[in-house]
Amino acid sequence: MANTTSYPKTEWYTLHRNGPHKLKLLQITRLEGQATIPSAVDCYNDAALEMQRLIKEALDNNHGFRAYGSRWSMSSVAHNKDRMHYNAYMNLSFPILPQDMHSNANYDSTNLYFFQCGNTVKEISQVFEKNGKSLKVSGASNGQTIAGCISTGVHGSALNEGSVQDHVVGINLIIGPNPEDIVYLERHTKPALNDAFAQKFNARVIRNDGLFNAALVSLGSFGFIHGVVVEGEDLYLLKRYVRKIDKKVALKLSETMDFKNTDFKIEGETDANGKGKTPYHYKVFINPYIDDGKYVVELMYKKPHRSSYPDPFTTIDKSLYRDVIHLLIQISRKFPKSIPWFIKKLQKQILPDVNEESLGTLYETFWDAPYKGPAFACSFGVDVKDCAKALKVLVDLTKKEGPIPGIYAMRFIKKSDATLSFAQFPTTCMIEIDGVLWKESKKLISLERFSKRMIEVLQQNNIPFTIHWGKNSSWNFPGLVDYMYGDKAKTWKSYRSALLSKDMQKLFSNDFLEQTGLSESESDDIDIPEDLIVSL
Amino acid sequence: MKFSQLPLRLLGFCIMMLLFQSCYSVRLVSTKGTPMPDQHEDEELAEAKLGDFYKDKMFTVVKKAIPASVFTESIQFPIDQTNCESGKLFSVEYKNTLGGSLLYLATFGGKRKVKITYVCMKTERQ
Repeated sequence: MANTTSYPKTEWYTLHRNGPHKLKLLQITRLEGQATIPSAVDCYNDAALEMQRLIKEALDNNHGFRAYGSRWSMSSVAHNKDRMHYNAYMNLSFPILPQDMHSNANYDSTNLYFFQCGNTVKEISQVFEKNGKSLKVSGASNGQTIAGCISTGVHGSALNEGSVQDHVVGINLIIGPNPEDIVYLERHTKPALNDAFAQKFNARVIRNDGLFNAALVSLGSFGFIHGVVVEGEDLYLLKRYVRKIDKKVALKLSETMDFKNTDFKIEGETDANGKGKTPYHYKVFINPYIDDGKYVVELMYKKPHRSSYPDPFTTIDKSLYRDVIHLLIQISRKFPKSIPWFIKKLQKQILPDVNEESLGTLYETFWDAPYKGPAFACSFGVDVKDCAKALKVLVDLTKKEGPIPGIYAMRFIKKSDATLSFAQFPTTCMIEIDGVLWKESKKLISLERFSKRMIEVLQQNNIPFTIHWGKNSSWNFPGLVDYMYGDKAKTWKSYRSALLSKDMQKLFSNDFLEQTGLSESESDDIDIPEDLIVSL
Repeated sequence: MKFSQLPLRLLGFCIMMLLFQSCYSVRLVSTKGTPMPDQHEDEELAEAKLGDFYKDKMFTVVKKAIPASVFTESIQFPIDQTNCESGKLFSVEYKNTLGGSLLYLATFGGKRKVKITYVCMKTERQ
């Protein structure tokens, strides 16, 4: 039997020390060993029963219950004040065989894998790689668990691939303590696996596009995500280039995504007519305190995989003393004008080296995050056509009401089908500022105030935007979710209300959902069609 | 702060910098495999002692002062299986401290302080 240990707690922090958040009980489940339960399917089902037991226990105690993985989100989206469950040891994985496929499936079974919730991006990449496959996209690093990734919309900057959740084709949820509360969701227009596969996991199948799209970016509140089916592709390499280019050119590329008709070219990355190729990945780095008319940009081009290529892990990593970072933050609280100076000094640690080039798989390119100390990140999604304007507005704010210890970057994502994905625009430009977490002082604006001002200036300039669910923001800003998502937020709430009982809506809610108005039950206000979540 | 205290503070700063430099570590990290995760009971203490690298990782510290002699060529420690279900290593760190160097000097090489921190790979089941 899977074994859960419960630890009484008083507080909980995110990985990057955002918090403290109140907590009563931390629960950690370990799978039963292979010697006791040799079958991986039996082990998975055994873990499902254990999760249902924990859900029942939370319900009986009138507690909330929320699972978390690597706690990389900086917002409180993963937090529950009552009970939190650490998923990281739940890392089973299953290949999908031809006999598991739905008769109308349009997927290659060799590209599909079923992963239990606690598998990290790194583990998933390794499972794929052993079979000559790769994820299509990941975030900037590899430590997030798959359930956390899709719940908050983790993205990279792969121009034509979308976010991590866009490559999930099936979701196994536990939505309550009863046998019928194990469900397997797919899109009815894009079925992947047959009912027999789902039945191995005792799951009730619901094929419904609307429900699936709502449950994809669920903010952890559509039930316990026990497993997901992920689509990969044949293993490939990424050739990475870092260049410093004219900022007007960098912004033009960001606004148009037109890499063909630009003077900026990378040798060897042009077509037969000498025109630039569209890269797999494009990222722009912006130090708001230096304007030398140039930006550092990072581009990656997809290449066929080959077994022999130079080892991409050849550099020696030196880490900074935590105390040095702490000291710099203390100095900046008293002397905010020193922030631009110390960002310049830390530039080598923060920005990639100009003219750096590397070749590696996705797994090797987006490797372990080097810094796990106190950090903040604010990230806004805007339509690419607004990206230069939005960047100027935010950089001006940072210079005028800051400075704050961080630098900006822009990444780009294709529109997602997920109802509450922040990749809402045809191509969304994610403008993000990342840096070291600081405390307010008389001379230094607080993160809370700065986050609020970012929202205000974008609204004042009539720039439609979304916000990354896992990043810092003024999440209780009045009408924020309605401004960002309008009717889509109502649709999402309707599907949640239709799938979960009243008790389970409450159990899987949290302060974050309440702050954003997403925990309100739609069933109280509107009639939810009876057939909203039927299997189609 | 009085002006006369400035040289003392500068001296203190210089000594601190020297101590920092006499204390270094070298870490071997596997480029394949995933570290065994953990949620530490006292996270702040673990971070302060060992740094961010060990955050959310299950680690074991081997800390011993070992006698050395002309007959000792190498020393071997078995991996503690209770914290290493996979039996595979993800990272190994050797740390040299000022105290370790002083002990070595004071005992004319007779005693060596060893501090090794290792992390195992996450258990896999398929």
